[in-house]
Amino acid sequence: MNKNTRIIAKSLKKRNRSESTFRLMGLLGIISAISFLVIILFSIINEGKKAFVSTQIKLDIFFDSKILDPGNSGKITEIENANYQTLIKASLLNFFPDVKTRNDQRDLLSMISSSEQENLMRTLTNDISLMNTKKEFWLKSSSKYDVINKNPEMIDFAEEDRLISNQQLFWFNELKKDNRVKFGFNKIFFTAADSTEPEQAGIWGSVMGSFFTLFVTLLLSFPIAVAAGVFLEELAPKNRFTHFIEVNINNLAAVPSIIFGLLGLAIFLNVMHLPRSAPLVGGMVLALMTLPTIIIATRASLKAVPPSIREAAIGMGATKMQTVTHHVLPLSMPGISTGTIIGMSQALGESAPLLMIGMVAFIVDVPESFLDSSTVLPVQIYLWKSTAARGFVELTAAGVLVLLTFLILMNSFAVIIRKKFEKKW
Amino acid sequence: MVNKKNIKVLTKKVSVFYGDKQAIKDVNLEIFENQVTSLIGPSGCGKSTFLRCINRMNDTIDICRITGKVLIDNDDIYKATLDPVLLRARVGMVFQKPNPFPKSIFDNVAYGPQIHGLTNSKEELEDLVVRSLQKAGLFNEVKDRMNEPGTSLSGGQQQRLCIARAIAVSPEIILMDEPCSALDPIATAVIEELIDELMQNYTIVIVTHSMQQAARVSQQTAYFHMGNLIEFGETSKIFQNPKNKQTQDYITGRIG
Repeated sequence: MNKNTRIIAKSLKKRNRSESTFRLMGLLGIISAISFLVIILFSIINEGKKAFVSTQIKLDIFFDSKILDPGNSGKITEIENANYQTLIKASLLNFFPDVKTRNDQRDLLSMISSSEQENLMRTLTNDISLMNTKKEFWLKSSSKYDVINKNPEMIDFAEEDRLISNQQLFWFNELKKDNRVKFGFNKIFFTAADSTEPEQAGIWGSVMGSFFTLFVTLLLSFPIAVAAGVFLEELAPKNRFTHFIEVNINNLAAVPSIIFGLLGLAIFLNVMHLPRSAPLVGGMVLALMTLPTIIIATRASLKAVPPSIREAAIGMGATKMQTVTHHVLPLSMPGISTGTIIGMSQALGESAPLLMIGMVAFIVDVPESFLDSSTVLPVQIYLWKSTAARGFVELTAAGVLVLLTFLILMNSFAVIIRKKFEKKW
Repeated sequence: MVNKKNIKVLTKKVSVFYGDKQAIKDVNLEIFENQVTSLIGPSGCGKSTFLRCINRMNDTIDICRITGKVLIDNDDIYKATLDPVLLRARVGMVFQKPNPFPKSIFDNVAYGPQIHGLTNSKEELEDLVVRSLQKAGLFNEVKDRMNEPGTSLSGGQQQRLCIARAIAVSPEIILMDEPCSALDPIATAVIEELIDELMQNYTIVIVTHSMQQAARVSQQTAYFHMGNLIEFGETSKIFQNPKNKQTQDYITGRIG
């Protein structure tokens, strides 16, 4: 062993130790990141899954013509406007005959969601032969009972801290004993828009709002951004002016999104007088925000096309435009579409700029066009989170789950496109 | 023998500048019809740059500037009325690294005729593709897999595909920029044989690093050094009896 070998051997221990320390730190970082992710996902799924089912109560409803059509007119309009609450009340009183006082009766009736009156009306008008017959229905409970049923630990709360009184809890338990309470699929959550009553609120309105908004965003930002990217990368002369534009596009990508909202408010609403809360305007604002992302992705994937392909085309006598449209652009399409989808999923999760243009409104109807007032998924989640009623807690988590599902779907789609169309040179 | 040949390309005092740097200095050169002219010289001597002047490929580089005259059939190719697209249909090019389009073998060869609208029917186009592949000596190897991507071929086959692609538009001149530098000796031999055949119908200018190759395939040789044309003449004379000391040093392997 000569002198140098000894010096190296001495320091080797220390060098190896620092390497293993670094390795350990990296591992710790990854483990903590994954465990935070698991905790977050677990708590959201745990809470959110409750919103996918709802408490339903079995009642025998007698379609009494004396109540629904006292004049015996047989007119549909008469039947449509009748008081179906009385039917539900009669059925409940039939089960609890000793509830006498008006207040107690009202308390009892509050067990069933008010939305069920309309459902009973629909059932009857669709099949008028049900008149004066008795039929079994699984009716949706109101949110308070639903919350108690989903969170059994609340039963042990003191009466004043509980959502329902001891009396109401007793009635509910009586129904349970009679096997008249079950969990059913919460269809309303996937078909309705927002509502003041948690059990009647759904995510579909904001899903459609997001869809219309993103459609406008894609329609505007994709062609403009690709055209801009191609122009800057392939056609524009490389001079000070184009360099200035490039720098500014890169800076735009880092501008806080709420600024784009303010811009939209100032120009689209105040100058152009477009409708407030409309997906059209939301899409335009998000398009502004998405443009730099797609331009940058377009330029990066254009740059990745080997210059030998351009030379081959130009050497064959293709014009600049033919070179781009026949060869360069098709080859960079996988990269451009990946960038576009990433930009779109960014836009899907964006709420701040939409608050500025009034997409934060309480919308009860599912939007049907680009001009209908609507809200979007992240804003709906924000709205539910800031509502006081206890029933919205599960809805908020379920909304997050729906949003996450869309994001994961879009991002996996981007990964698949990239993997599938990746060219090997 | 030389005197019987027509001059196809004539350059008069051609200089090329990249920004402030001069890459080519006052080159006067005659390229004869239906002959192979090879450009040799050490790396960075400007031979590729000179080659790219003949089909105006240098136009695609922003900072590149050319002075002097390049005449093809006595016609200035840098005059304002001439469209470089038309020129490049007359002057085909084969590059150092085989660069087939990532499309099918058929589409690679059919591309030129398609963009220039040279054929009127599908049958005519197919016929042209087959003939071009035959001329490039590739048809027998690929006739059963015309729809496979051109990039799936071997390096030598890819280069012959690029030659087929170039001759599909029937150019008058074919420029080759070190066409064999990325190929093994066997593939190189095939290409060299092909060049010998192509000479009958086309005027060929080839840049090469291999002096043996220049000696094998060309009738005329130009030796470039530091952007200057040092010596030009019949290949046999250049290699056996160079007039210039620099040329002698280069071909005997003392420099470069």
